Amino acid sequence: MDQKILMKNEIGKLYIELAEEYNFYAPVINKGNLIYNKILNPDEIILDFYNSKIPPKEILFPKMETLFEYKTDGKNIEEIIERKDLDEYNIIFGIRPCDAQAFMLMENFFALGDIKDNLFLKKKENTVLIGIGCNIPKSTCFCTSVNGHPFKSDYLDIFMIDLGEKYLVEGISDKGKNMLEKLTWLSKSTKADIQKGEELSKKAEESFKTKLDVKDIEKILEQSFDHPIWTEISDICMGCGICSFLCPTCTCFDVIDENDQYNNRGRRIRIWDTCQFCLYTLHTSGHNPRDSSIERCRNRILHKFCYYPKNYDMLGCVGCGRCIQLCPVNNDLRKIIEKVNKIKEEEKVNA
Amino acid sequence: MHNPYIPLLTEIKDIVSENKVNDLKTLELVFKKEEDYKAFTYIPGQFAEISLIGKGECPIGIASSPTEEDSIKFTIKKMGSVTTAFHNCEVGDIVGIRGPCGNGWPIDEMKNKNIVVIGGGFAFSTLRSLIIYMLDNKYRNNYKDITVIYGNRDSGEVLYRNDLDKWKKRNDLNVILTIDQEEKGWKEKVGFVAPVLKDVSPSPENAIAVVCGPPIMIKTTIAVLEELNFKDEQILNSLEMRMKCGIGKCGRCNIGNKFVCIDGPVFSLAELKKLPNEY
Amino acid sequence: MGIESENKEIEKNLRDIARNLLQEKKVDAILGYSKGTAPLSTSPIIIRHIDEVNKLIWNNLCYMNLAKYLVPRIPQLKSPKGEDLKIGIIAKGCVGRALIHLNVEKQLNLDNIKIIGISCNGIVNRKRIEREIGEKEIFEVSTSENNIMIKGKDFEKKFSFDEYINELCKVCKVKSPPKDSELEDIFIGESREMKSIDDDFSDLKEFESKSPEEKWQYIKELLEPCIRCYACREACPMCYCNLCFVDQNKPIWFGKTTDLSDIIIFHLVRAMHLAGRCVACGACSSVCPMGIDLNMITRKLEKLVKERFNFTSGLNSKFLPPMMAYNMEDDEEFMLEEN
Repeated sequence: MDQKILMKNEIGKLYIELAEEYNFYAPVINKGNLIYNKILNPDEIILDFYNSKIPPKEILFPKMETLFEYKTDGKNIEEIIERKDLDEYNIIFGIRPCDAQAFMLMENFFALGDIKDNLFLKKKENTVLIGIGCNIPKSTCFCTSVNGHPFKSDYLDIFMIDLGEKYLVEGISDKGKNMLEKLTWLSKSTKADIQKGEELSKKAEESFKTKLDVKDIEKILEQSFDHPIWTEISDICMGCGICSFLCPTCTCFDVIDENDQYNNRGRRIRIWDTCQFCLYTLHTSGHNPRDSSIERCRNRILHKFCYYPKNYDMLGCVGCGRCIQLCPVNNDLRKIIEKVNKIKEEEKVNA
Repeated sequence: MHNPYIPLLTEIKDIVSENKVNDLKTLELVFKKEEDYKAFTYIPGQFAEISLIGKGECPIGIASSPTEEDSIKFTIKKMGSVTTAFHNCEVGDIVGIRGPCGNGWPIDEMKNKNIVVIGGGFAFSTLRSLIIYMLDNKYRNNYKDITVIYGNRDSGEVLYRNDLDKWKKRNDLNVILTIDQEEKGWKEKVGFVAPVLKDVSPSPENAIAVVCGPPIMIKTTIAVLEELNFKDEQILNSLEMRMKCGIGKCGRCNIGNKFVCIDGPVFSLAELKKLPNEY
Repeated sequence: MGIESENKEIEKNLRDIARNLLQEKKVDAILGYSKGTAPLSTSPIIIRHIDEVNKLIWNNLCYMNLAKYLVPRIPQLKSPKGEDLKIGIIAKGCVGRALIHLNVEKQLNLDNIKIIGISCNGIVNRKRIEREIGEKEIFEVSTSENNIMIKGKDFEKKFSFDEYINELCKVCKVKSPPKDSELEDIFIGESREMKSIDDDFSDLKEFESKSPEEKWQYIKELLEPCIRCYACREACPMCYCNLCFVDQNKPIWFGKTTDLSDIIIFHLVRAMHLAGRCVACGACSSVCPMGIDLNMITRKLEKLVKERFNFTSGLNSKFLPPMMAYNMEDDEEFMLEEN
């Protein structure tokens, strides 16, 4: 399909045309934080940004989600009420390729096995991802080290390149192509546009300051589960939820029943949870397989770079760099990976 | 579109107190809808996420065998907020059930083998499911010798007395009961499970050992089994972990790259040795 | 003296003291700050050898309250046998206050602690600067004379130091660890004996002049972005409970969701649990990923405790905090008032 042009001043028009059928999510500033929010006015949309603070995963996997609601007769449950909003259509406008890759990793996970998480999968099926390539990756970004690319369009429905005053628009998936076909007013692109797009892609690719060596990371991690390095790596970790909550690939959740006994009703909900909390693996008997920050910190790194690759043959990290930017004690993932890689070198020297 | 987090509804048909201190109760549940029995086809060793909607949900091993049609049984120990709520239930109360979860005992691989069932304390529930299944007329001939060693702290803690009495009267299995210390009126064996097992000394030849119990009992039992030359692949274990979803989505029950709720809870010792020591 | 030269001197002094303590084996480890690898960050560090001393730094981004690593004592600060190691802790005023208060609450044995006191010149309000820089990438943060210099991709911006430090630092009266005369020999470096604080809380006038509706609106707007990551709780040296009230389930006291009501109740109840205990270090606000600044709540609580009980936390170990002690002279007007 030919690539089209969307002028930046036409975004309002795009919004008006699509907002009737779709919940339109785009980057906005809310209390000083750039997040993806459902917009009511296209003027709210921020186009000049690196990436959001909270990843767009919160649109399809919200911080708090109702699993089902129920009514009681005062004592016992009378009726279970299913979700009705899962058939709604969504657009996530302005998503970055790393976050789109993260959605793919989440989809793998939620679709694994006979019993699938249809809440997420149904919403994802009904969502159109309109992504924008990163002309200027941040110094803490490292998507190219983890099978990503600032202009990777594989996991998007529509891919756009910021050419300055306009976007070069390409339909990637069938969903995306169908949507673009309906937007007949989009202008045609020129050879110069396409060439500029290619130049921007190359420039972005070459600009990465952070490069992680994850060539053998799965194997090194598997073999160094009991290595004393984890005591050092975890020593300043506070055990808060920032790295997991703001990670686009983290999906752990807690399940809570909320009962409204005065109105004979209630709901079972799920909320974000993290393996970094001390209660995460605590048994009712008091036994806790991950009793200190050493085990918990180790689990997170292993999950992204060892366990996930073992199950899905691909890394569980997309290189967005949010954990590096926002960890309150600056327990830098880049330093952690470096230390882990050093284990291999130590062993070569000792051998 | 199936929402895997919505439970099927059952009603409590019967509640049996299993031990003297009354902190172990067996709930017998019947589905409210006939067709749900088919949806809930299970094998011994599996568990289910049972809930008192409004109070919470917890993973409990299925104590009934699929051969005991018409109802599902769960033996619940009063330990935390949800299990305490279960203990306060009455006959007729509604219980939600999601499942069956987990891989269960490998009843097909266990065919034509001698089965040594070793249980300690209240972890015996899924072992009851397995034994009743194997003893069923349809399946008894699939399994060779069956030896059951069941240990408890004291005689008041022994579960499923009616079933044990019936089994003891049969001649197609060998049931050995033991308690930790001498007690007036106790005519069975005395001693921890591990030394009793050593005494019984089952042959590892064409055998599978199924072990379920508190961590210390498992440790000592496995040591004896290894002494008796049982190989790692012949020793089966049922693990416990904190769980929420029971379907491998909430993330918390992982050991390495495996989830106890879908790749387990049954693991052979060989499989466990390959996983990180984090359970 | 400009900020930069002050910092250099503080850094040199603390390194000298650390070197000495390690050399004479008076401590097994030093707990301090190291250079951050992300913008506007520093990283707490545990060093055990003299050749690591130069990793210790001091600058105006040392926002963490290091006392939090001591209660509960993290395994890395214990010997292989499980005994507490002897620790030298780099302590700005609020860290010193935290250590004394934890000692008063009998959570910390100061016998194996050496308080390496420094006179803190203020911590930069990193979240406020981030917000004002907006969607530009910051590469370098430095201080010169009386300014904070932010250099980034294609831009440079200067912020007035006095204006852009944490709100709590602006009104801070305890810049170096209060010297408790009962525990003299654990204080090295800067420290100052303090019996009480002279504070007119004039920074609260604007907030206090609001109507109850306006105050409630303020609270709602302030706390709305909270994502329940609990970084504020984990960064707080006084939040050392084995089981936090929000995590209890027998019974469930409060909700853990991101509903506004649940968020507000978490923060307000946590604030109540900190009455008479908070040392106004501002770590909670510095670590919040969403930029929530709890300084007004902190200050208001501190004022209430001072007014009603004439108490300020962490100045010395003689006086018990109001929530730990009953005094016959305690004002009970809220209970006994006729009308």
